[in-house]
Order: sequence, then structure tokens, then C-alpha cells
Amino acid sequence: MNPRAHPSDETLARFAVGTLPAGPRLVVAAHLEGCACCRRTVRAFEAVGGALVEAEAGLPLAPDAFARTMDRIAREGAGMVHRPAPARPAPGGRPTGLPPGLVLPAALAGCAIGPLRPVAPGVRIGRVRVPGDPKANVMLLDIGAGRGIPDHTHAGLEFTQVLHGAYHDHRGRYAAGDLVEVDGEVDHAPVVDADGPCVCLVAMEGALRFRGLLGVLLRPFV
Amino acid sequence: MTVPSPAGGGADLDGLILAIARDADRQAFAALFRHFAPRLKSYLARTGLPANAAEELAQETMLAVWRKASYFDPARAGAATWIFTIARNLRIDLLRRERHRSTLDADAESEPVDETSGETLLMTAEREARVRAALSALSEEQAAIVRLSFFQEKPHSAIAQELGIPLGTAKSRVRLALARLRVLLEDLK
Repeated sequence: MNPRAHPSDETLARFAVGTLPAGPRLVVAAHLEGCACCRRTVRAFEAVGGALVEAEAGLPLAPDAFARTMDRIAREGAGMVHRPAPARPAPGGRPTGLPPGLVLPAALAGCAIGPLRPVAPGVRIGRVRVPGDPKANVMLLDIGAGRGIPDHTHAGLEFTQVLHGAYHDHRGRYAAGDLVEVDGEVDHAPVVDADGPCVCLVAMEGALRFRGLLGVLLRPFV
Repeated sequence: MTVPSPAGGGADLDGLILAIARDADRQAFAALFRHFAPRLKSYLARTGLPANAAEELAQETMLAVWRKASYFDPARAGAATWIFTIARNLRIDLLRRERHRSTLDADAESEPVDETSGETLLMTAEREARVRAALSALSEEQAAIVRLSFFQEKPHSAIAQELGIPLGTAKSRVRLALARLRVLLEDLK
């Protein structure tokens, strides 16, 4: 099934040039695994990057730059890589209690996922630790059938990749494979479909602002 | 914006990388270094790296080009695009290490996007020619916005500063320029 909600052009461009922070990058990578259309867009933006590099006027390097590079090649042997890169390690432990049919995205390989802890009725959250960026705000959300996330706004962009099930808010309905990108101006209260739980991978650029008690409960996570 | 094609054409640059992969050809590497290292340095400086870090990373990228030459597949990406993605990944790794010096970087070699097998791709040369055409088809102003913002961590404030316009205006101009570029690239899909 083809996803219907996608990252914005700007997000895909930032992904392609490597300026998207680690947390959102992980969530976008999870989306790309299931979206050939966005993979092609990223490919096209990478080619834009290549063309812009090609068009650079160029800055002179130190006079010995080439010699130093050749020295390193000589010192480290030919050092050419011929074997395929080793496969990524398996995801670092699957939290218990996730729906059995859920396949975690390969992008999560290498991330430690904390246990899912209840933070509100029907809402459980597991912190995802991104290698190399311990401060990245990424979490796995498991929300029960028919349950909602209380009204909240964001300080920055919020990226939600639906991994399982579906939810809706005032703007539409989102199902597995969709990536929902919401900016700070949006004030929304997502509700999960009645027929089953919904699991999402969420990353935030800025802090999440809940109204009321949940804000206090979630403080350790965001 | 005029995007000049490289002296001798992209296919020749591809050939240099293939020669490195096939024969560990040092002359081919020297030619590739002459062509790309200065361009990489100015691209890396544009992303906000200080001059010495841009210099180091440009050399680091060329070293990786030597090592990974056997991975180069001209049917997937042209020389400039392939080398750009290597520099991009090394830059991400560098910033990651700076943020978190004590952590051992386990997947420095892995690419952010996994290789996608079995996907039908346009011939790369054609795709990249169209990308250049799309860039040239942008208006003068939009080309400048793409050029100034594309590699920036904070594209909106960079544009606002460079053009002396309010942040909100910069935001919508970047969005419009990117949307226009996307329309021009749409044929690629």
C-alpha cells in the first residue's frame, strides 16, 4: 500500500543534504523504507546537491593536500574496500507489548528502545536513543484503540511515522506508512481508530507542549 | 543559474572513478582530486564549517573516494552526486562526533539511505542532465535562493541575512523556490 502522507519537500531536501537533525532523520529514514516515491525525490535532491557541488567555484587547498592524502593511502596500504558493508545489527531489543504484527523499521537498528511506560490511560511511550545524539527527542508511542493524545502544540516540527494501525485528527486520517509532519502552529488532538491500537515513531525538533497534567508526566521523555 | 558541465564531461569523471576501482590508478585519482577537492572544500565551507575543518573533510572525502571506488555505480549516480553523498555523510559523522566525543561511532561507514535494489531508475546521465536543466530553468532570484539555502543548517536565517529580508519572508521564499524546483524535477519521477 502506498503511503498518502509524506514529508515536505523541504524536509526531503534537508534529508538529502544531511542537515536534518538525527531524530527527524531517523523517522524520515523509516518512512523512506516504505515509500518509493519519496526515495526518488531524495535521489533527485541528492543529484541537485551533486550539481551544486559541481558548480562551486572551488577553494584552493593547502599546497601539500594531495601529497598528504597520497601518504595516507600509502601508509594505510591500498586500503580499498571491496567487501560489502556489514549488515546493520538487529534492532536493539524489541520492547514487550507491541502488537505482534508490527515490524519495526530497519532504521531503528542500532537504537536502544526503552521499555514502554504508561503515561496516560491507553498511552504508552518508549524512549528511543539515537546513536551519536543522546539529546534527540525520539519516541515510540503505543496508543490503545479509540484512545487519544491530549491537545498539544509544538515548539518546532513534529514528525510522526505511523508504523501500525491508524489515527485521525481534524486534518485527516493517517495509516501505517504515512509520515505526518506538523509545525508549531498546529494545535491538534489525535485519536486512534476504534478497531485497534496505533504505534508511531515520533521525533520532534523542538519541545512538545502539552496542556495540563500530561505535560508533567511526559517531562522525563521529551 | 548556469551550471557548467565539468571540463571533459561527467562521463569522464565517472571513468576516473572506475579506473581507480579497476586498477588503483593513481593518475586518475590525481585528476579527480584536482577537480573535486577544491569544490568540496567550498561546498563544505558553505555548510558552515570553518576553513580548516572544510579542508580536512575535503581530503577525508577524497580518501574515502579512493577506498570506496569499487562501490561506485554509474548507473545509480554520477560522479559529482556520488562524491557529494560521501562528503555529506562524513560531515554528518563529524558533527555527531563533535556533539558526542566520547561515543564510539559504530556505523560511520553506513549510508543514511539503504541501497534500494530492483528499483527502476532512469539512466543516471539523463537524470543528472535534467537536474542541471531544472536548476538553469529557475529564475535568477530563485536560483540564488536555492544556491544560498540548499546546504545551510538554518536556511531561513541565512537567506534573511544575505538578502536583508524578514525571516517570515525568507521562509516563504525558500518554500516557493523549492516547490518550483520540485515541479521542474517532477519529470524525473
